[in-house]
Amino acid sequence: MNLVSPAFFGFVAVTIIAYHAFVSVPWRRIVLMVANGVFIASYLDKVTEVLPLFGFLALGYGGLHIVRLRRGGATLALVILTIVAAYVFLKRFSFLHGVAELPFPYLIIGLSYILFRIIQVIVDAGSADPAEAILMSDIGPLAFFRYTCNFLCFVSGPIQRYQDFAAMDGIDISPLSDEVVYKAFSRVVAGYVKFVVLAASANYVYIHLSTQLIGSQAFEMASAGLPRFCAMNVLCAASYTIYLYFNFSGYMDIVIGIGLLLGQVLPENFDRPFAARSFLEFWQRWHMTLSNWFKLYLFNPLLMQLMTWFPAPGLSQYIGIVAFFVTFLVMGVWHGTTVVFVVYGLLMGAGASVNKVWQLACAKRLGKKRYRLVSQTTAYIYFARGLTVGYFALALTCLWVPDPPQFFALAARLGLPGEVASLLLLSLGFAAASFAVDTVRALVARRKYSLRALSTGLFTRNFTLALRILAIMAINSLFNKAPDFVYKAF
Amino acid sequence: MKFIARQAALTAIFVAALYGMLLAITFIVQPDPPRDGRIDLWTAGRTIYLTLPKYAFLGRDALDVPEPKILLLGASNTGVGFRQTQLQALVPCAKVSNLAIGSANITELRQMIDLVHDVQSDAARRSDTFVFGLWFGMFVDTALRWPDPDRQLGDTDLDIERYRYGFYRRGKDGPVAVLPPSWLRVGVMLIRPYLLFEKVTRDVTEGLRRALYTHTPERTDAQREAHVETAAEKADALQYWRRSMGNAKTISADQVALLRDMIGGLLQSGNKVVLVDLPIPKWLGDASQYQPGYVAAMQGLVDHFAGRPGFADLTMPDLTASEDFSDEVHPKPHVARVWVARLAETLNSALCPAQPPHGAAGTGRNADRFRQSIPMNKEFHDG
Repeated sequence: MNLVSPAFFGFVAVTIIAYHAFVSVPWRRIVLMVANGVFIASYLDKVTEVLPLFGFLALGYGGLHIVRLRRGGATLALVILTIVAAYVFLKRFSFLHGVAELPFPYLIIGLSYILFRIIQVIVDAGSADPAEAILMSDIGPLAFFRYTCNFLCFVSGPIQRYQDFAAMDGIDISPLSDEVVYKAFSRVVAGYVKFVVLAASANYVYIHLSTQLIGSQAFEMASAGLPRFCAMNVLCAASYTIYLYFNFSGYMDIVIGIGLLLGQVLPENFDRPFAARSFLEFWQRWHMTLSNWFKLYLFNPLLMQLMTWFPAPGLSQYIGIVAFFVTFLVMGVWHGTTVVFVVYGLLMGAGASVNKVWQLACAKRLGKKRYRLVSQTTAYIYFARGLTVGYFALALTCLWVPDPPQFFALAARLGLPGEVASLLLLSLGFAAASFAVDTVRALVARRKYSLRALSTGLFTRNFTLALRILAIMAINSLFNKAPDFVYKAF
Repeated sequence: MKFIARQAALTAIFVAALYGMLLAITFIVQPDPPRDGRIDLWTAGRTIYLTLPKYAFLGRDALDVPEPKILLLGASNTGVGFRQTQLQALVPCAKVSNLAIGSANITELRQMIDLVHDVQSDAARRSDTFVFGLWFGMFVDTALRWPDPDRQLGDTDLDIERYRYGFYRRGKDGPVAVLPPSWLRVGVMLIRPYLLFEKVTRDVTEGLRRALYTHTPERTDAQREAHVETAAEKADALQYWRRSMGNAKTISADQVALLRDMIGGLLQSGNKVVLVDLPIPKWLGDASQYQPGYVAAMQGLVDHFAGRPGFADLTMPDLTASEDFSDEVHPKPHVARVWVARLAETLNSALCPAQPPHGAAGTGRNADRFRQSIPMNKEFHDG
């Protein structure tokens, strides 16, 4: 169901009306369950296409039961390995092509996020914390379905923990009021502004540039010199990064806003990522629920295990670096099924571990206090921001060129000088943009009269809401194709 | 729920009020183009529709008039070669519309005819004379002609306009009308704020779009007259058309079959059809791998329909000199006047028999049969 389709708006309206028709918790759970089913069905052409997904859910639920019945690390590891293997099989990773695959088309949208939720409940069910273990042992099959297939988070998160979901499963944890409803409407509209206006505009630029760089018009760049080719690569990488951010964060605003109208408070997934001063901080601000999930269910256990194996205190810092590398490698590889995503994982892992090494080295060389002072200077802040986003944007090439031959051809054409020049240009560009945005913000903040005061009146706030809606509708009509959600491919 | 209902109502009221204001402004800023039974898509830039496909899709109901009409269909060389005002001046007994759309293939011609028929009464349909301006570049399958990543694969420019405002939706077997064709005028009136917004946006972002598309700048008529194609430009043009034909070995047999069906159907319905084999420079005809297949297909079509009432063909083999063209397909303005005169001759012989000849006749073999078909439309001339 496309977010800008009339079907989606109708579906959301009917779900909200049905949800609020009765205050009864069982009724609301039924409404949410039916809504999940309808949402999933909208992606299907044939009933058979959903069978692998149901099989995967059954496997997950069975795994949960096994872990509840037979506690122990070996059982937990075996169950998780089985579920991950089933995921890899269903996701059709390229190394399995021709070896093992189901001989019919089926739904894989949302599978990655279902995997995260299943692993979360299984790990927590096997947890030493009795409260968590008891909560997990109470999950019935319908609650399991409502949690793993919550239509608001189905396609691409946010990844909500079961503990948080259970607290609001058919229960209003955020009672409606004029303020809450306006906030929800405003959030949804803000999401559409990002999704339709900003992301689609960036995508328009990206598509036309990438067509000339790697697509059907690549012949035009064949004879271009390295500087021009490099500049085109930088513009593609920058426009794709902007597109990805507004597309994804817009989607999140939309589902979080709709969640508020259904009494659900979903976790935030973005917190001004382009303001991050380091790669590690960037991942605390970008796709936050994914980062938290990996921190809780991969980084922490891995770190603990490595420290058990290598208990020498002097090694702890290096163990941390290794744990960062492995975590970010896996997080990168998770994004896709071809060898290019292994490259992406390696770049993510390298980014995280080099960042950690840098922090340790600076603290050692300068001392913690002086390092903190240096890192608060304006030059350092914008240099660090630029480099962080520049590196991330360049690594994202793996996402917009997922085809291995095309990716390696592009890398070969750029060569090391081209890649380094691209990184520098991207870093400088983002640093300059960040500085400009901050300067404008500071100027606006200095004004005595804030426009925000005006936006509290009934007329003004509804007028601006209506203006934004009209802008969305008008700009949506400019593009030849309805915008799609980019992260549903991952 | 009452909070949600209240906010939804407030939002709807504000949106409706603002939209209403914008709608009123559009009528002041950009009035509708004249509706006199004629459309010249090549004036789209001066209308609220701005682009040719949009004008064709949204403005086509102007053709719902019972008077004799000449509808020119084709790609940009039909648009440039048969200027509506020039042809109208030479063919006064019918209303001339230029419905040619740049880069059109035969599928898009079929869509154009269907869209026009959708909004016409039976009487209006029967008085249509279709002129097909053809050359090899139009015989390419849709997916190969428009492989752009920013459109749904298989969509023509007209399809994009169908879906853009929700007038059509995608069905399993193709576009499905959401808005009945009889409501087209109301629908177009309601979307005027969008149209004006798009016009303003396109004007504002023209520089950016030119940069992205790497378009060559528009040329004036004087520049077209002065231009002489260089060897490098000829080589580029050959390569360009190979790519535009999807690097296929020859022209698409499906498109030829579609054209044959289309002409057959129109003649069957009592419409007149003129098939114009548009001249291209001799160097292009000699060098292109597509020209032999095209020549054979055209010959096959003319042979197939020869003698059928209402059918005529026109060729202009003497107008293929390189210096007659401002690029590889478009005639220079002074040559276009000759194209117009020859087409007018063919059309007048059938539609306006009292008109004096305006230029040298074409070499079409079926002009007599075309004339013979006049009685089929007698009721319209009389009525």
